Amino acid sequence: MIQTVNLQKLFSTEEVETTALNGINMEVRDGEFVAIMGPSGCGKSTLLNILGLLDNPSEGEYNFYGTAVARMTERQRAQLRKGSIGFVFQSFNLIDELTVYENVELPLLYLKTPADERKKRVEETLERMSIMHRRNHFPQQLSGGQQQRTAIARAVVAKPKLILADEPTGNLDSKNGEEVMKLLGELNDEGTTIIMVTHSPYDAGFAHRIVNLFDGKVVTENFHV
Amino acid sequence: MIRNYLKIAVRSLLKHKLYSSINVFGLALGMACSLLIGLWVRDELSYDRFWPDAERICYVRVNFTNPNDPSADIGTNFVTPGPLQEAIAKDIPEVAATLKLDYGPEYLIKVGDKTAKEQGHFATDDFFGVFNLPVIAGNPAAALKQPNQIVITRKVAEKFFPNGEALGQKLQLNNDKYYVVGAVVEDVPHNSTLQFGWLVNWNVQAQDWMKTWGNSSFRTYVRLKPNTTLAQAEAAMSSIYPRHAGKNFETGRPTLQSITDLHLYSEYKNGKSVGGRIEYVRVFGLVALFILLIACVNFMNLATARSATRAKEVGVRKVVGALRSSLAGQFLSESMLTSLLAITLSLGLVWLALPSFNAVSGTTLTLDLTDPILWLIVLGLAIITGVLSGSYPAFFLSSLQPIKILKGRFQVGAGPALFRRVLVVFQFSLSVFLIVGMLAVGKQMDYLRSKHLGLDRENVLYWPIEGFSDTKQYEAFQREVVRLPSVGSATTAGSLPIDVRGSSGDLRWPGKDPRQDHQVFAMFVGSDFARTMNIKMVDGRDFQTSSPADSSNYVINEATARMMNMNNPVGKEVQFWMGKGRIVGVMKDFHMQSLHETIKPLILCFNYLNTSYLLVKTRPGQTQQAIADLEKLSKAYNPNYPFNFHFLDEEYEKLYRAEQQVDTLINYFGVLAILISCLGLFGLAAFTAEQRNKEIGVRKVLGASVGSIVTLLSKDFLKLVLIALVLAAPLAWWTLTKWLDSFAYKTDLSWWIFGMAGGLALLIAFLTVSYQSIKAALTNPVTSLRSE
Repeated sequence: MIQTVNLQKLFSTEEVETTALNGINMEVRDGEFVAIMGPSGCGKSTLLNILGLLDNPSEGEYNFYGTAVARMTERQRAQLRKGSIGFVFQSFNLIDELTVYENVELPLLYLKTPADERKKRVEETLERMSIMHRRNHFPQQLSGGQQQRTAIARAVVAKPKLILADEPTGNLDSKNGEEVMKLLGELNDEGTTIIMVTHSPYDAGFAHRIVNLFDGKVVTENFHV
Repeated sequence: MIRNYLKIAVRSLLKHKLYSSINVFGLALGMACSLLIGLWVRDELSYDRFWPDAERICYVRVNFTNPNDPSADIGTNFVTPGPLQEAIAKDIPEVAATLKLDYGPEYLIKVGDKTAKEQGHFATDDFFGVFNLPVIAGNPAAALKQPNQIVITRKVAEKFFPNGEALGQKLQLNNDKYYVVGAVVEDVPHNSTLQFGWLVNWNVQAQDWMKTWGNSSFRTYVRLKPNTTLAQAEAAMSSIYPRHAGKNFETGRPTLQSITDLHLYSEYKNGKSVGGRIEYVRVFGLVALFILLIACVNFMNLATARSATRAKEVGVRKVVGALRSSLAGQFLSESMLTSLLAITLSLGLVWLALPSFNAVSGTTLTLDLTDPILWLIVLGLAIITGVLSGSYPAFFLSSLQPIKILKGRFQVGAGPALFRRVLVVFQFSLSVFLIVGMLAVGKQMDYLRSKHLGLDRENVLYWPIEGFSDTKQYEAFQREVVRLPSVGSATTAGSLPIDVRGSSGDLRWPGKDPRQDHQVFAMFVGSDFARTMNIKMVDGRDFQTSSPADSSNYVINEATARMMNMNNPVGKEVQFWMGKGRIVGVMKDFHMQSLHETIKPLILCFNYLNTSYLLVKTRPGQTQQAIADLEKLSKAYNPNYPFNFHFLDEEYEKLYRAEQQVDTLINYFGVLAILISCLGLFGLAAFTAEQRNKEIGVRKVLGASVGSIVTLLSKDFLKLVLIALVLAAPLAWWTLTKWLDSFAYKTDLSWWIFGMAGGLALLIAFLTVSYQSIKAALTNPVTSLRSE
């Protein structure tokens, strides 16, 4: 379970101070699929980054599966992040110099998974995402849908407890977007917790719960059945 | 994991071909320079270290103080009088062996029909007690004691006795005496200050004048006993001059220098070694380091500049679990890979450049790939370069924040931009420094070449006088030479008038303080010496054959007149090697040694039997004719000897061989340093243009001209070059002033050298940058704005 208490995030430059998050209290149970919605600039992505241990809050508490992480150093967060969180981005963020196979393999390399185990897991995951036939291609040789499926494969290959998706269908046409959402739904059905930022009400429909943000605050929470 | 790093590294090298080639090629050039210089430095430092117990072998010099003025500088003679070696052998128990050598003449060796000139020495008995060379045949120590035997080296043995035993065979030296080969020894390595092809017993050529303390002409070496220090031996030797040399020379103090220092520390000032060739070793060591740094700077600059393109990868890796340390490791291993690629390429470059480098620097360096030390150097260089050039990019790239990058908010910050500027300034400071060096060294070399020495060195031929069976034959020959229509005049001399070596304390004149040692350079000459060399006579006349009294008369230069404190020396009586005689002429001071030296007192004795060179001044425009005529004449008189003539101005150039090498090398390395710097600047400009693509587009839409955009993009770089100029100029001025101080006669460091260096650096930088700037300025703004 993850839980935040009164999360605050301030961004300050020399002249302007912006409050991106202003007292977020939120709880996500294991196996939940939560969508975060709201207009541009409401703090969705900032929240996702903090939840994903990529950033620290300015104030407040964050309990990540029983560990208080709000004051952790970058190094400690990186250790914790490794293997327990998978990320999916709008712009895929694949490494251009690596093939599909190598991109997916990367998290396992950092986890020091033995080679034969690695091979097995990567191949399983590629099969599952239906991109096995593209394993030796480079990202720029793939369609957007294939790239995002590769990115999802990379996010799940280490079997993380939590997947964070930041507008995963934002760069895709509707057919490919549909496929990606179905994949995320299936992963959730198998027990993976998913938190997804999205602008699309359709995509949000795949979630159990929608958290609406406005000006850095939670305004409403809608529950699906 | 490493495989993953390497994969990325290789692929990103291949993907960005321009940057990769700038990186690899720039580094390879830098490394090749460093390697070449490294090989050279290693060779220079290895001189005379191969002798067994080299640190116990010492070269003997003699310090003289002025008894009337103890505060005056101590003078140091690098050659010693003949009796010194015997006195040391007899008196000094600290010394295990002593050796005296002559200057090392080139003699004609003849075996059957085969003749060739070989350099060798007349040496005292204990040569091999001092210099222990491996024996190939015979007993060299015993052979050297025999007046009718000769010791030769392997090379000479193989040349004259190609199919068989040299031992016991006879050979003829200088068409004169025959010697039996008593022993063959191993060749002396090239990195030895002592070089010879043959050795003959000292006594064979010993003459009476060699037994006096007043004539310093010989090289003395000693081998110390084990556990004896130089200082102990010097202290023991301090009583030798007072005890043996007589009251004219009692201030002489032998001073020892370990033979391992002889090559690099041969300059003495006030009785102490003050350096010498080591300065050049240091300078070029620094140049090597500079060039390597310049190449590393390119790598660092391009890597941080291109961090935007690598940033996404850093972000992704961090998100999927990379720690900062593993990213730093990744980027370091990338720079290692580049460095290894570069060093491989540089080995090829060194291999290609080595023959020309050897020709320029007068060395015989080789790239011996079986030499483990070479590999150690090569690997060390690769690792140092990899770490040096990769550490900042690794540090910087691994510190990037993943969220900023992945959300597209990434901008290369001010930190690395400043760092890059500092590096460019550093790079161009070094380049400006080298350009100033090139110009100043070149100017001094021009000065040396064009300086009027007070004598003519153009159209003067000379060759050694040798092989005449008697004086009559030689006199007849000389008469014929002078009679040739292509010859203006001719004379003979004991040494070349541009490089007079032997000095003596034997000159006496009325009013001389007997306690004070006055050293005067001395030379035997024939008639018409001043006329042939076109030396101006201030007073009196040249020696003339028609004046029989001249055989005990003397000609001096102005410096000698000053030393003797004589206003009108002509007609005054002095005493020197030819006994009591009169001064018949005073020559205007001329440069009789390299321009490192001031003009010293000189005295000429008229005795052409003691001379070694025939000097001929040809008539203007008839040099070729003169050579042909002289060759015919020489063949007729002297059929056994090849006609081996040289030009005096060539010999003059040789006096500055070290400087000449520095001049050429600094030109090469300076150009390379600038080339490498420009490679980096080119890459950086390409990157800046790329980065400011959108800005340029907007400016063009708003009406900016191509010219204004080129200015905009070039201005920043040129500012950096200007700063570099300001920083480098004082440093260059200081260094070169020091270098010029080693010359007694020198050019000045004019302001135009600095102006020209600055102008050149700016121009080169501008040309480098402008290609990219113009390209960017000419791009249609639509293309750069559409991508937004």
